[in-house]
Amino acid sequence: MYIYIRRRLHLLLLLALTLLTLPACVGARMGVSWPAVGLIDLNGETQIALAYNNEVTLLTPSNGAPAGLVNPVDGSLLRDNQNNPRTWVLRGSDNGGAQFHTAPFRIDDETVIIVDHNRRLLRVDSVIVEVQRSFPLLDKVVANPLEAGGVLYVPFLNGGLSAISLDDYRELWRFPTDAGIWAQPLLVNDMLILSSIDHYLYAVDRETGHRIWSVDLGGAVASTPLLANDRLYIGSFNKSFFEISLDGVILSQYATQNWVWGTPAIDEYGIVYVTDLSGYVHALDTSGGLRERWSAQIAERGVRAGPIVYGERVIVASRDGKVYWLDRNDGQLINAREIDGRPELLGDMMLLEPSPTLAIDAPLLLVNSVDEGRLLIAFGIDGRQTWVYPR
Amino acid sequence: MWDLILNPFVTILAWLYAALNQDIVLAIVVLTVIIRILTFPLFAKQQESSKKMQQIQPQLKKLQEKYKNDKEKLSQAQMKLYRENKVNPVGGCFPMLIQFPILIGLYQAIFFALAATPFQLVDLSERLLVPGLDSLIPLQRMWTPIPPLASLLPELDLTLAPLENPHYALLLPLLVLVTTWGQQKLTMGTMGQNKSNKDDDDDDNGAPAGGQAAAMTKSMTTIMPIMFGFFSLQFSVGLSIYFVTSNLIGVVQYSPQGKRLLERVFRRKSADEPPVEVIFEDDEPPKKTRKRKKKKPRKK
Repeated sequence: MYIYIRRRLHLLLLLALTLLTLPACVGARMGVSWPAVGLIDLNGETQIALAYNNEVTLLTPSNGAPAGLVNPVDGSLLRDNQNNPRTWVLRGSDNGGAQFHTAPFRIDDETVIIVDHNRRLLRVDSVIVEVQRSFPLLDKVVANPLEAGGVLYVPFLNGGLSAISLDDYRELWRFPTDAGIWAQPLLVNDMLILSSIDHYLYAVDRETGHRIWSVDLGGAVASTPLLANDRLYIGSFNKSFFEISLDGVILSQYATQNWVWGTPAIDEYGIVYVTDLSGYVHALDTSGGLRERWSAQIAERGVRAGPIVYGERVIVASRDGKVYWLDRNDGQLINAREIDGRPELLGDMMLLEPSPTLAIDAPLLLVNSVDEGRLLIAFGIDGRQTWVYPR
Repeated sequence: MWDLILNPFVTILAWLYAALNQDIVLAIVVLTVIIRILTFPLFAKQQESSKKMQQIQPQLKKLQEKYKNDKEKLSQAQMKLYRENKVNPVGGCFPMLIQFPILIGLYQAIFFALAATPFQLVDLSERLLVPGLDSLIPLQRMWTPIPPLASLLPELDLTLAPLENPHYALLLPLLVLVTTWGQQKLTMGTMGQNKSNKDDDDDDNGAPAGGQAAAMTKSMTTIMPIMFGFFSLQFSVGLSIYFVTSNLIGVVQYSPQGKRLLERVFRRKSADEPPVEVIFEDDEPPKKTRKRKKKKPRKK
């Protein structure tokens, strides 16, 4: 046996090296971002809008099926040449190879705006799902734009933000940053709060685009801050979490285990829940600074998205392909659900409360994955899987 | 498993970036130099092995002719020849194979460290092994030309391909092509020179020993530069910087002056020793030639 192994040593070495080298030859992951999920109201119904890579789709919240196209005059379903019902899908392949990483939003019942990754703002006829017009943008976009008062605030992948009038799609002003803005801006009074991976959090006048203040958070900032009790709560890649006043002063700081990327959640007692990329969840009391109530590593891999607090539970989704339900009082694990194939769960989760326009009778937790076979998964609040949307 | 190679590279690159005044181009250049110096013994071994194989080619050819009807004997004789000359016929491949993961790791380190999208940045979060480097993220991926040219030439984005950058970035694939060709020419030139000397000495038929290998070598000199130039056109500019640096080091390494210097530094023995002549049992004994005694000058 020993002689056999010695004779075959070269072959074994060769095999080991080949195995080692092959995964590298496959190349590094070339994707851009994870799916973006939002809600959109069309014709009195609320649909789930899902944008990922080369498609934007509207889904019915009750069953996750693609929403049908409806004739606005008589309310009947539109059908294609083969008499099949037409569904609300905007394909990048029909629109110059467009890639989508931001959720669409409604202008009116017949118009939807989508910003693509190909430096374009698309005005889409939502009745027949066709691009009416496209307007060039300065750069690629990976974060949801913010619409307020007829102005669209578009953050760019490589830096800066443009304010665009939705009347004539003209740029009103531009705010430069040294690196990209990868989170949706937050509107606080007349201030736009922008987080940039250039390490700064900016407050900008929404009318003029002038800087009001900026604060260095020591590391890249890639999430939308949480506004609560006239304070901003946000984490950075400097393994820190901050409490910041609305005039840009850091009031308190807490050291996390790794980068903080997700927007935190807060409960009615002022406890902020923060996730980090080491798989930790931290519960911090905000009364009088940031004081740790509990901190626990719950996932094998990092948690990119922010948590959701519902009732007595804190819910987090991890890169390890699992969704965790924790007791918000002590961080004890109550429930964990593994997604088939354990795809990375990187996108923000969304909680849907029952409402007449959503047509659901129980809360739904939407979790998105980067696996196109399980792009959007809906759970009941108890962790029971309700439906899965594959592309 | 692959992360064991990749993550240290990413960490060292980020550390060099911090140490070199946050200049990513300089960090890539220095890391490439370090890697090439550390892997020099492997390169040298590969070169030495190739050289020795070239040196024994005439003897191998003789054996092939001698035992053309007895494959078993041919195999035994070849093994003996390899043994006596301390040549491993696949010895040149192993150092090359070990270099592959290192080189690919370096390329991927550039790709990951210069994370330009959310996906890439999420990946980077698990790759930095030394605390304190997080505050450097994102690494500056825009390269500004030197001051006199800065006003004329726009910045280069090191994460984008030359075609997506300002036009002057197209010079980089060209530079990769030229430097790869230069390195190939020097590498092959050394071996070719060595081989042709042996051909002159030993080949009775006048046919070049290892003609097929020579043809292959020639086509490699043409194909490799085109291939690497094409890669550089498709992949990020950061990769071109790595290729150019690596090739220039290769040019220095394979130039006669560079080789002498490196041999002194690494105290290597030269591979230019004559091959050991192997005598087989069934060989005819070499004919003894009488040596003429020199006539002593007569004393007058």
